[in-house]
Amino acid sequence: MTALLSIRDLTVIYRRDGSEVAALKDISLDIAVGERLAVIGESGSGKSTLALAIARLLPASARIDGSIDWFLRPPPTLGAKAPPSVLPDISPSRGEIALSSPPSPISKVAGEDPTAKLPISLLEGEMSGRTEGGLMERKAQKSTAKPDHTPLGGRDIGFVFQDPSASLDPVMTVGKQIAEVAHTHLGLNWPQAYAKAKTLIERVRLPDPDAALRAFPHQLSGGQKQRVAIAAAIAAGPKLLIADEATSALDTIVQAEIVALIRQLVAEDGMTLLFISHDIALAAALAERIAVFRHGGLVEIGAARQIVSAPRHAYTRSLLDAHLGLDAEPLSRQAGPSA
Amino acid sequence: MSSPLLSVSGLTKRYRRGGKTIAAVDNVSFHIEPGETLALAGPSGSGKSTIARLVLRLVQPDAGDIQFKGEDFLALGGATLRARRARLQMVFQDPLAAFNPRATVARVLDDPLRIHGIASRSERPRRIAALLERVGLSPDLAPRAIHEISGGQRQRVAIARAIATKPSLIVLDEAVSALDVSVRGQILRLLLDLQREERIAYLFISHDLGVVRAIAHRLVILDAGTIAESGDARTVIDAPQSAIGKALVVAAPKLDRTGP
Ligand SMILES: Nc1ncnc2c1ncn2[C@@H]1O[C@H](COP(=O)(O)OP(=O)(O)OP(=O)(O)O)[C@@H](O)[C@H]1O
Ligand SMILES: Nc1ncnc2c1ncn2[C@@H]1O[C@H](COP(=O)(O)OP(=O)(O)O)[C@@H](O)[C@H]1O
Ligand SMILES: [Mg+2]
Ligand SMILES: [Mg+2]
Repeated sequence: MTALLSIRDLTVIYRRDGSEVAALKDISLDIAVGERLAVIGESGSGKSTLALAIARLLPASARIDGSIDWFLRPPPTLGAKAPPSVLPDISPSRGEIALSSPPSPISKVAGEDPTAKLPISLLEGEMSGRTEGGLMERKAQKSTAKPDHTPLGGRDIGFVFQDPSASLDPVMTVGKQIAEVAHTHLGLNWPQAYAKAKTLIERVRLPDPDAALRAFPHQLSGGQKQRVAIAAAIAAGPKLLIADEATSALDTIVQAEIVALIRQLVAEDGMTLLFISHDIALAAALAERIAVFRHGGLVEIGAARQIVSAPRHAYTRSLLDAHLGLDAEPLSRQAGPSA
Repeated sequence: MSSPLLSVSGLTKRYRRGGKTIAAVDNVSFHIEPGETLALAGPSGSGKSTIARLVLRLVQPDAGDIQFKGEDFLALGGATLRARRARLQMVFQDPLAAFNPRATVARVLDDPLRIHGIASRSERPRRIAALLERVGLSPDLAPRAIHEISGGQRQRVAIARAIATKPSLIVLDEAVSALDVSVRGQILRLLLDLQREERIAYLFISHDLGVVRAIAHRLVILDAGTIAESGDARTVIDAPQSAIGKALVVAAPKLDRTGP
């Protein structure tokens, strides 16, 4: 397998009110080009922290150790028209993410310049592609790397969060939000960017694309908003799509539709998928490999089939046992310890 | 047979939105027996929470009738309504939203005991400790703020609060949907224990048929405010007849644990 990125001994410690929380402890794993990898685990196990670390979106207060190496081929046509951008294409929803911090030399970029070292960057909580908030960071990075040719560019990571409302701008039309990503990262002019936005809206199968372009987020259902967030996340053609609990707030029918959509888009565009979920059945249905996290540690990683049918770790087995499928015995008939 | 604990007929609630009127709940009828769990399932927007709010009298219906313990529940007012409300409690999905996050666990449990005059001031700390133990929590948790305990602990506190007034019916709206699977299993077992021991009935709302199958006796499937089908929970889930019932079953994530 060819690695898209390689994580080694990654430790993330959050500091808050004088106390420290180790959210990730010595994590090492590779993500292969084109694979669908799921990360599962209970709340607080460090799933989102991993996603934020990969997207270089951790808050300034976080202490980071270890490395994340990317193996990206240099983009073939990063001409003068394309704006140089070293910022990942993400839509952070967390208010606590700070604007800037001392760069920590963690993220190396292999490829055109295998020795390039990029700091884990921090980006203001903003919509995909709207990177103005990251200007300072961009300057900071220019001094340490070669941003104009840096493969880990604004177009290389698409991020979809659990709450689409948090990642969409409530006062901007859906069309503008998607077009802005294409405008910023693909260097398209506005008419081209809008045309691209319409194509994307069709691709994520929003009903009545022309009306959807002009709609504001609050006029859409939760599932429709998530389709918009996905359209914005893939607008710049990212190599890696990160979906962090992207379907957890949706009802099961819409969840199944969104999962099918993600699967199709990832296949069509040859993207690599990092699918974060607490639902082991959903993860197994979508991903080729599953990584199980607990208390900030990697419990096991393996083929989805193996994790589900022959887990090596008792904790994975307990997650499987706790799944309530449509074929399970009703709890009232199961003998079991009371809560 | 005794008369149902809760009996709802012709329940209708319309909302105006963007110049149009939509029937969030449209001529819905069902009943719940004492000690029984009736599940409401259906896609988002099908009217589940609206029914919960109607049954709890948090909103007024446009039409329909609700009988609770043989009384016309919609006609009750004043002190009688307050007294009956003690018998009809609720637990929602997000326990943080339901409580002031800075309130202590003790305060959250003290409120119903005080408001419904269940225990005197001096007696209440003991009652609070007993309630915490009843839901499997340590009484040491009492002084902690709601935001300082885990999601599963908060949901146990919400259940402790609900049972404080010795209700005969608890409405649970997506009460286990936000919980980790292991914690979810514990909470569902706790609900079953309480039901067995105190004959509490549940109106259990969830879009997750796996959870419904695990806990409910009967199931009503809603679609766009109307009842698509209803019956014994396992019978309906094993062989759904309605289009929406079939769609819900197909969409439920399946886990195939057999090897390759
Ligand atoms: N206060 C309100 N004003 C206007 N429309 C409302 C109001 N409350 C609910 N509705 C509408 O009534 C319908 C039913 O909503 P309800 O909240 O009962 O759905 P639900 O089945 O609980 O959905 P979910 O699974 O998303 O919780 C929806 O179309 C909703 O938009
Ligand atoms: N911004 C933050 N500040 C302090 N602690 C945090 C922050 N974000 C997450 N944590 C803590 O880090 C741990 C891992 O959290 P997270 O990565 O969000 O887990 P998951 O996504 O698996 O639920 C938890 O203990 C959580 O409370
Ligand atoms: Mg998370
Ligand atoms: Mg609801």
